[in-house]
Amino acid sequence: MNCLLCNAPLAYRLTIPDLVLLRPIQPPVLCQRCRKQFERIDSATACPGCGRPKNGRRLCPECQRWHQHYGWHLRHTALYTYNEAMRDFMRRYKFQGDYRLRQVFQGELSRQVQTLAADLVIPIPVTATTMATRGFNQVLGFLGTEEESGLLVHRAGEKVAQSHKTRRQRLHTPQPFELTNPVAVRGKRVLLVDDVYTTGRTLYHAASLIHAAGGDEIISLSLAR
Amino acid sequence: MKLTEYYGRRVLVDRPDWQAKQPPAPIQTLETITVGDRKIECRRCGQKTPKKIAALPNGEFYCPRCINLGRVATLNKFYHVPEPNQFVVKEPVLTWQGQLSPLQQEAAEEVATGMKKHQHQLLWAVTGAGKTEMMFRGIAAALRRGERLAVASPRVDVCLELYPRLQAAFANTTMVLLHGRQELPYRYAQLTICTTHQLLRFYHAFDNLIIDEVDAFPYAANAALLYATGQAVKEKGGCLYLTATPGPSLLRQVRQKELAVSYLPLRYHGHLLPEVRLRLTPRWRRTLDQKRLPANLVAELRRTLAAGHRFLFFVPHVRDLPGIAGALETVGFERRTFTTVHAADPERLAKVQGMRDGRYDFLVTTTIMERGVTFPEIDVFVLGADDPVFSSSALVQIAGRAGRARSRPDGRVIFWLGCPCRRVREAARQIRFMNQKGRALQR
Repeated sequence: MNCLLCNAPLAYRLTIPDLVLLRPIQPPVLCQRCRKQFERIDSATACPGCGRPKNGRRLCPECQRWHQHYGWHLRHTALYTYNEAMRDFMRRYKFQGDYRLRQVFQGELSRQVQTLAADLVIPIPVTATTMATRGFNQVLGFLGTEEESGLLVHRAGEKVAQSHKTRRQRLHTPQPFELTNPVAVRGKRVLLVDDVYTTGRTLYHAASLIHAAGGDEIISLSLAR
Repeated sequence: MKLTEYYGRRVLVDRPDWQAKQPPAPIQTLETITVGDRKIECRRCGQKTPKKIAALPNGEFYCPRCINLGRVATLNKFYHVPEPNQFVVKEPVLTWQGQLSPLQQEAAEEVATGMKKHQHQLLWAVTGAGKTEMMFRGIAAALRRGERLAVASPRVDVCLELYPRLQAAFANTTMVLLHGRQELPYRYAQLTICTTHQLLRFYHAFDNLIIDEVDAFPYAANAALLYATGQAVKEKGGCLYLTATPGPSLLRQVRQKELAVSYLPLRYHGHLLPEVRLRLTPRWRRTLDQKRLPANLVAELRRTLAAGHRFLFFVPHVRDLPGIAGALETVGFERRTFTTVHAADPERLAKVQGMRDGRYDFLVTTTIMERGVTFPEIDVFVLGADDPVFSSSALVQIAGRAGRARSRPDGRVIFWLGCPCRRVREAARQIRFMNQKGRALQR
């Protein structure tokens, strides 16, 4: 097995629990050096609204603006900072389309999903065009599933991806999603999952639909912030 | 996209595009991946990957092996137009004014004949024999026949050096330079200069393909690149391999007469290769760890600079570079007179150009400078020549950096090593062997 990012050979030593517990062995997919490039966000000091690191548990100005706009704000958890290594990782995973790389954060992200214990997990969908060219939904890849929930979908005619826009353009994007079955979210604790939280626009669009449909509690999770 | 950009190439097209409409007449649509029972085979790089690793959702697959050139997936198709050789030949084709020595002349004839017959052949010439100039006659004749040609090398440095030389030699021919680090768009040209990786984008394009430094990393041990070579030439196309240090597989093909071979054991200026001098420094690694350099090495460097010569200083690893640069500064070499350069150095190309322009007295470098690059009148020093990163062919190449100019055909080559070592001995033996052959010709 080689490191998925730098292709350096990886050694894995079986541990005693591996031998005794008869559990599936999970060999590492990254070498120590590549793993260290990613920077974990300490949730104890992050903004409770968007997960922005080192904000001392206070709501950051951006989230306050969202709160003004909607009358509520998201409670978002982000696992890693969007640093150089993460940017490069996303480039290779999403834009180059190296689907193998989903394994890098799969375990961590699905564990976090379990911890957050939601009634309903809704991954942010990709457009039909993206699906036909990229061939996968990057969020579903992280969650270790191939099945779309089909609950949250892109409205027809949605073309430009958020990642191709400027910050201003992003913030002015009109609602791209629709809920196919609004009744399903009523009174539920809903977890929205995305790959990167940049301006929050995408997640707020999705969350506002669920809010309007009577979702009880909306939380969100992303790999990077 | 212009139609010419599909000539002899396979261009990836996304599903929404190829599903939307049939491409116009001469464009063929080709499959990208063969899906087998347990493995998929990429039609671009020829590599097989287990389905489990190559799987995308919804029963689609992609090739993770050649993904750096743009992902090939079952979602894609290739658009391809068979090479039409649509070139206008403008005389004079060869604008090179130089003269070949009688020995070079002889080898150049053989190469040209082989290219005319579209043979697979090897030109085994010592470092600094003038291999590039020897190809000119063969290339010129082929261009005149309206053939499409490519000169490929595993090393981007080699391509960058070849391009201006070929441009000067064939000023009336359309030419394009392709490598992974450039942003320039592709365009259709009669003569392509590219890295061997770029050959993966071509399909039955070239009537003759020339591969320079064929034994260099990563070409020699890379199945995908060997496959690419086969795909890039036309079915009846010829292939010319150039090297100073053919590896075992080429030598085997020569022995089995699958490959015609021409030798040239003398350099273009008719002098022998500089022979290697060895110096034992049993504790060079420890000295280095203490951020110092062996005293006789420092003395040698000083002497060289005092004599007004520039040099390349090779060390085994990238991680050794900062320590050595520091040690050199400590003993009084000024920082602006030299620099370090390695494969992943973002300023690598600029630094090499700086050395070429004479802005540096010397470069401290790793094996990336071992071949293809010519700095005239330099000396060559290697610290830790017994380190396993230096293969014997790499050492021959490194030694061959010296004495390449007619004005100073006898540069000095000194290896510092911790203990006697088979690779170093083998390299020294190869140089002596070629020199023996050369001496016979000099008489």
